[in-house]
Amino acid sequence: MRGPRRRGASTPPPPPAVVVPVRRIRSAFAVVLVLIGLTVAQLVQVQVVDGAEHAARGERQRLRTVELPAVRGRIYDREGAVLATSVDAAAVHADPAAFRPTTRPDGTRVPAAGDRREVARALAPLLDLDPVALADRLDRDGRFVYLARQVDLATAEAVMDLRLPGIGMHVEPRRAYPSGGTAAQVVGFTGIDGAGLQGLEASHDHVLRGRSGTLLVEHAPGGLAIASGERELVPAEPGADLVLTLDREIQHVAERVAADVSARYDALGATVVVLEVGTGDVLGMASAPTFDPNARRTGDAAAWRNRAVTDLFEPGSTQKALTVAVALESGAVTPATAFDVPDRLTVGGHTFTDVSRHGVERWTVGDVLARSSNVGTILVAERIGEEALREGLLALGQARPTGLGFPGEVAGHLPAADAWWATTLPTVAIGYGTSTTLLGLATSYATLANDGVRVTPRLVRGTVGLDGRLEPAPPAAAERVLSARTAGVVLELLGAAVDGPGATGGLAAVPGYRVGGKTGTARKPLVDAAGYSDQYVASFVGVAPLDDPRLVVAVMVDAPQGAYYGGAVAAPAFAEVMHASLLARRIVPDGSGRSLDELVRSAAAAPAPTAP
Amino acid sequence: MSALAVVRPRPAAGPDVGAPSARSPRAAAPAATGRVRLAVAVSVLALGAGALFGAVALNASAAQAAVTARRLEGEVRAAERHHADLLVDVAELEDPARIRARALELGMIPAPAARHLVLRRAIAADGAPDPVLPGVADPLKPVLTQER
Repeated sequence: MRGPRRRGASTPPPPPAVVVPVRRIRSAFAVVLVLIGLTVAQLVQVQVVDGAEHAARGERQRLRTVELPAVRGRIYDREGAVLATSVDAAAVHADPAAFRPTTRPDGTRVPAAGDRREVARALAPLLDLDPVALADRLDRDGRFVYLARQVDLATAEAVMDLRLPGIGMHVEPRRAYPSGGTAAQVVGFTGIDGAGLQGLEASHDHVLRGRSGTLLVEHAPGGLAIASGERELVPAEPGADLVLTLDREIQHVAERVAADVSARYDALGATVVVLEVGTGDVLGMASAPTFDPNARRTGDAAAWRNRAVTDLFEPGSTQKALTVAVALESGAVTPATAFDVPDRLTVGGHTFTDVSRHGVERWTVGDVLARSSNVGTILVAERIGEEALREGLLALGQARPTGLGFPGEVAGHLPAADAWWATTLPTVAIGYGTSTTLLGLATSYATLANDGVRVTPRLVRGTVGLDGRLEPAPPAAAERVLSARTAGVVLELLGAAVDGPGATGGLAAVPGYRVGGKTGTARKPLVDAAGYSDQYVASFVGVAPLDDPRLVVAVMVDAPQGAYYGGAVAAPAFAEVMHASLLARRIVPDGSGRSLDELVRSAAAAPAPTAP
Repeated sequence: MSALAVVRPRPAAGPDVGAPSARSPRAAAPAATGRVRLAVAVSVLALGAGALFGAVALNASAAQAAVTARRLEGEVRAAERHHADLLVDVAELEDPARIRARALELGMIPAPAARHLVLRRAIAADGAPDPVLPGVADPLKPVLTQER
């Protein structure tokens, strides 16, 4: 604020001359401009020229894509019992670089985070591993090595509680088979990475495995996920569940009986097949010896084989029912046609004999089948000729794939038409010189039981997707190969082969039910030479209830010791499996005319059973 | 726009500044304008602060919700894991081989040979009355046949 100038005051001295350092200011300004220019240039370089690269690098540092493994579908039996499922397990891994000193790019030396031998000693008891082998594994090159796969989560958590340097874990699925060895050869197993390797796990891997998803998360330098960061989830699609035609109860009985008969006769193995007539559903398919897929590494890999579809054998006398069926269908014989049957017959320079010596007997076709006469069956087959027999057997499924589609299934063998010699017809007629699987044989008998209509056997009823509904498998293919009349006649003859006079299959009888079936006893061919060994295959194939067949059971015992006749070895096993299967399927009895009083009296007279 | 840009320096006072009591109506207008501008500035500041606080609060809330979501996802995974384990346990317990072995341990024995009773009812399965057995009081009651 300026006041009025006072009169007489002295004139203030002039302000000192201000020297503006224009040059310096300009120089400083220029420097600042240059700095700003450099900054802008660097910004352009970073943001524009290399912008995409830097952005990508930043994303790589912040964002991490985690693969979400799909949950593998379960495998159920026909009633919904779990045969295979997946549970969470853990993989314990290590970073071997943590156990050796490293040098940073700037030359700084970083000491090892821990001593691998100490770490190995701490881990070994928890992971049940050798500490020396573990220490060697921690000494490998690279940044990642598995120490243990598919261990229990509790074990993995105990490992993490040790807070060892360089040791980590992650969750991974593990296949579990809660019923142990039940249907092990049918269900199969997966590898450590969850891919099906054997059985239905392999053949239906595309159905069971599902599709894995991804989770994109943003994480901090320390590795922790940023809660409010970017997060993009592509959920995994779980695999569909597989519902089998197997009945767990029947499967269990079939496996138990196969194991029992194999052990009782010190056999190389035993196989049992249970088929449902009409649908072709395989209710049971058991092989002994078997294995536990939960611990398959400790067993013999030969036990993984599903012998019912992979092993061929000469059917022996069980073939005779098929020969008779072809003969009846061709019209060459009737059930009442009688033959003069000696106990030996020479054809093409080879003599065929019956098992028991007898004179020339006048036997009908039914008698021939009931007594399992080799000579009688050859006489029947000679009535129809080579071509008709071969075509008829092919139509019944011999030497053809059953259509089951099981991995490793073989088709069997029947000599080609131009390879039949003079002895081929009699040989094939009685079940030699041809081979089949037990399932193939059971399917042929199921054709007889199904009024002559051959139904393709199946193991899978359907799949269950995310909606929880059963998507049924396509119905099995059906094809008529015999007239219903022929099939009915053969069934009656099979009934007589169990309960008729002189029948060889008496031990196959099932209380309360009428049973029809045929015994089989065949020498095993030599492996490395022509001819036959002194070992046998004992078998029995039958149907029940005979008036309205619902089930077919086939039993094959490989090289039993001591007894070896099908009627003595396989028939009782058949009866036990068939009886249990009929009860399990709630099939009403059709036989057993004994009254309640008789039953009560016989029960009172019988000694009290004791525990085995 | 920053608050500093709104609050402009007050214009220089005229010669009558020293006599406020004599302020004329003409002089009151700029003061009112200043108060309005101050109010606007304060409002903008408050709005900015509120927006900032809201954004931070929203972000914190989102983070908290994300943490809750992660925790719930973990619980779902744990529950699914438990369910899968229980499924295995149930299947193991239901295994016929285990049940049979346990029954034998308990001293039970396999049934020697099952017998079947076919009960004849007064009415057939399709509901039609049975002419063979007339006069039965309770048509649903099982009737023993003469063989029994």
